[in-house]
Parts: sequence; structure tokens; C-alpha cells
Amino acid sequence: MNRPPTFHAGRAHPAPIVAEPWRLPPVTVLLVAVVLIAGAEVGGASMVRFKVDLTRWARGVMLARPAVHGLVGVRDVDERVLDEALVKFDGGLRLFHIHAEGMGLVIIATTTVAATLVSSAPARPAIIALLTVGGAGYPLGYLLWAGLIPYVGLERGKAIAEWLVWIPFGGATILGLWWLSGALAFRLVRR
Amino acid sequence: MSQLRPVIDRYATARVNANPGAHGLSGSAEYDDEVRAGAVYTAEAGLSFFHTHAEGLGLVLFFASTLVASVVPWRRARAALYAFLTAGGLFPLGYLAYGAGALELGRDAGIDLAERWILTPLGSAAIAGLLGLALLLAVRSRSAP
Repeated sequence: MNRPPTFHAGRAHPAPIVAEPWRLPPVTVLLVAVVLIAGAEVGGASMVRFKVDLTRWARGVMLARPAVHGLVGVRDVDERVLDEALVKFDGGLRLFHIHAEGMGLVIIATTTVAATLVSSAPARPAIIALLTVGGAGYPLGYLLWAGLIPYVGLERGKAIAEWLVWIPFGGATILGLWWLSGALAFRLVRR
Repeated sequence: MSQLRPVIDRYATARVNANPGAHGLSGSAEYDDEVRAGAVYTAEAGLSFFHTHAEGLGLVLFFASTLVASVVPWRRARAALYAFLTAGGLFPLGYLAYGAGALELGRDAGIDLAERWILTPLGSAAIAGLLGLALLLAVRSRSAP
């Protein structure tokens, strides 16, 4: 983007300063982000369209595993347990929808910043890879948790999703973001 | 929504009372209070969903259309994607219709109208635009040197 010409003693002194143009990250990164956002939207639509079927399925799986969910055969007790688990099941799907939408945008924005402003050749692809893999994987943890709740219960499902998905992929995103922040801070200080 | 909550509540309650047939109000205070509370809750949920989706879809539209402008070389494909994505960007208005419909037509009829005529078509447009963009990105990534 050029600065408009400055005027001195009635004459224009064009002083073009070409700012660094934004560079896009690799097309594969953009593809991952767009597919993630599209998946989030399909997930959101499916939650509404198939709400009754999903609830029926989850409830059926839970009733088939009474020991896992602490079902005792007393309606008043069991309905409260089932309701809580179904609310968390629905919550997991919602959280997938929200996080996948958001992380898709985070991937696009942060990898574009990295592609443009990280000058170190080894660091740039590493940061982009961490942000892409971390951002794409993290929301899947909520899908996994929701899917596991009927089979293994709330807490065990959460623990599995945490260790298999949220911690590694969330950790990758956090590492990528701090590395990017460090690279930007270094660039500022170096100027 | 935050500052005008009492005003919204009062308006919503008044609209439910003005449409007793649509909401199945029976004249029994206990039953009607429950129906009224459900309809007002749905209207507030519609406003809340409008807020969150409008914030998010604005960003999705901005980034997705920037990607279209940057990486899709074919003019007609770009135009089609812009059209789908822009239509999809209007999706959040469906939640305003959802809230208003729940008050004017009854909870279920209002939600059904918003879903059938606004949320589903505009949501489908957004999904079609994103899947189209993903497809073209996949084609680009295979043909890139």
C-alpha cells in the first residue's frame, strides 16, 4: 500500500512506501481451515435436523449400559442421570460446532500472519504446521467426548477426549501461538 | 439484549397475550404461565443466537470471500461462491425470525417457519459456498507446483 504523495513548497514529492504484502499460507492449510468450518456448519445443521434421532440413539446406548451410568431401575433416579448425560451429549456437539467455526478462522488468520511476518525459514513452516494441526484437531475432541458419553460415561469420556485430543492438539495450538508471538516480538525489537 | 432485557421481556409477554390462540392459552393461570415462559424463553434464545451467529458469520464471510478473491482464478466460479457465501452470511437473520415467529405464531409454528424458509436455505447456501471453496482449494493444491 503506497503512502499518498506529500506536498512541499507547492510540489508533490511522492514517497512511495510499499508495505509488505500479505502472503497466504500453503493452500493445504487453507483447505484444512475451510473444511473445518464447513464441517462445523454441517455439524450445527445436523444437531438441529437430527436432534430427536441423536437423542434417541444416545439414550438407547445408555439404557443398554446401566452399570456405566449408575442406573438403578428407579425411574426418578434414572431419568435425572439420563437427562444430565443427554444435556452433556448435546453440549459436546454444540461445543464442537462453536470451536470448529472459531478454530477455522484462527487457523486462517494466524497462519497468514506467520506466512507474512515470520522471517526465519525453519520456524515459519513449523509454526504453520502447529497452528494447523492443533487448530484442526482440537474441536474433534468435543465430537469424541459426545460420542463416548453414551458408551463410557461422562467422566471417563472426558478423560479420554482430554488425553487423546484436547491436550495434544490444544497444546500444539498454544505452542504455535506462543512461538508466533515470540517471533513477532523479536521482529519488533530487531527493527 | 442485556440493557433492554426487561423491555424485551415485557414486549414478548404482551405479544404472547395478544396471540392466545396461537399459543394455546387456556385461561388456566398455571398452564398459561408455563406456556408464556416457554415462548418468551424461545424469543430470547432467538435474539441470543442472532447475536452469536451474526458475530461469527460476519468473520466467516470476510475470511472466506477474501480466500475466494485470492485463490480462485475463474471469474464465474468466484461469482457463484460470492453469491453463496453472501447469502449464507444472512443466515443469522433467521434467528430474528425464529424469535419473532415464536411470539406471533406460537413456539412450534414460529420455529418451523424460520427453519423452513430462512435458516435451512441460507444455511445450505453457506455450506455450499464453503464446500465449493474447499473443492477449488483441493484442485489448486493438486495443480500447484
